[in-house]
Amino acid sequence: MTLAIILVIAAALALIFILGVTFSRSLQISSGAGLAAQIQPIDVEAFRNLIDPAGDDYLRRRLPASEFRLVQRQRLRAMAAYVQTAGRNAAVLVLMGQGALTSPDAQTADAARRLVDNALLLRRNAAFALIRIYVALAWPNSGLAATPILHSYEHSYEQLNGSAMLLGRLQNPAVPVRISAAL
Amino acid sequence: MLQAHSLLWHYLWVAPNVFLLVLAWLLWRRGLHKRFPFFVAFAIVGAVEQLVVYAADLIPSVAPGTWWLIFWAGLVAEGLLKFALVGEIFAHIFDRYRSLAKIGKFMIRGVGVALVLAAAIAAAYTPRDGLFGIVSGAHLLEQTIYLIEAGLLVFIFALSTYFRLSLMRPLFGIALGLSISACVHLATWAFLANGGLANSTRTLLDLLNMAIYHLCVLIWFYYLLVPEKTTKPPVQPQDPPAGHQENLDAWNREVERLVQQ
Repeated sequence: MTLAIILVIAAALALIFILGVTFSRSLQISSGAGLAAQIQPIDVEAFRNLIDPAGDDYLRRRLPASEFRLVQRQRLRAMAAYVQTAGRNAAVLVLMGQGALTSPDAQTADAARRLVDNALLLRRNAAFALIRIYVALAWPNSGLAATPILHSYEHSYEQLNGSAMLLGRLQNPAVPVRISAAL
Repeated sequence: MLQAHSLLWHYLWVAPNVFLLVLAWLLWRRGLHKRFPFFVAFAIVGAVEQLVVYAADLIPSVAPGTWWLIFWAGLVAEGLLKFALVGEIFAHIFDRYRSLAKIGKFMIRGVGVALVLAAAIAAAYTPRDGLFGIVSGAHLLEQTIYLIEAGLLVFIFALSTYFRLSLMRPLFGIALGLSISACVHLATWAFLANGGLANSTRTLLDLLNMAIYHLCVLIWFYYLLVPEKTTKPPVQPQDPPAGHQENLDAWNREVERLVQQ
């Protein structure tokens, strides 16, 4: 009977989750207009400085081990905050891009397709990067295993910025869509 | 009313399956069988299977052993079609995007293997309930199928929610109906397979299963046949203002500089 209870609880939780998704989907459809306002621009240059491996090496050489771990953890938390924001921006751009996928204008639909693909790639990379950052938080001396993925992630963000601006320009030239604060 | 062979019991067993056949016919007429071949196949095979089992239940000359064999055959066919349908839903959602297609397949295979293992462990720990092997085996197979099916569907919903992928209305309806049916059936079959329940309780759980299935068929009708409210068409592209174009050019120059660094 214990097994039956476990399975019933699992089934109930699954059902609640699916009904929650259904409810949020209906809300999402009704509030699709203000999506662009949800985007938080990111300073890509500052992020690039933060993930620069030379900075790691410099701090490692200059600081005592215990102090280095402390500083490194703070830097990793800052990286995590950047990556989380970028992931959220990517999610908003997926929604915006999907809205334009069925556009009758071929150029707009093509730009939307590229935007959605880039945004999905970024969201996926953001998830992996976050996992690696949290692992690195436990071992700050490990030399940040996330560095390569963070560099590709930063490049993805640049591509995404271009796609978002192109789609925004095609759909509504008066309202630019910008996800980077570098300019 | 809430008894086997009551009017409600007959209605709940027959009506959803007749509706499902009508739905399959309407989908075929609208050409939707090309987009959702496994759903149409599931609707036809599932409905026919249930109607055959219902007829076998009513015909006095069908021996209990034969009835359970028919039930088993239908269960296996329906189970295979359900997994094909889950694959169809997954392909519709994720194969459209090249950045997710490969990793999505990799992940759902991993989740599928984990669910098969979990279902095997659950089956191994399910006590024998004193019924004939063919009966308790059927309960166990139902529990196994619904456990894997519900797990896969929850995974698909979770992944599409994480990536904010909006499902097309018909696809969302198919996934929603199938998920509700899988979750409720998982719960009821878990009780039936593990419980050692009284006959009256078994009948109540049967009625609950049939009522939920009826609800799911109505959900499929609604999402597959009632068109979505049309939204405002997107703004047509115009010549961008000069200032904005300069901003874009400056941005592109900056990106090139950053990438080449």
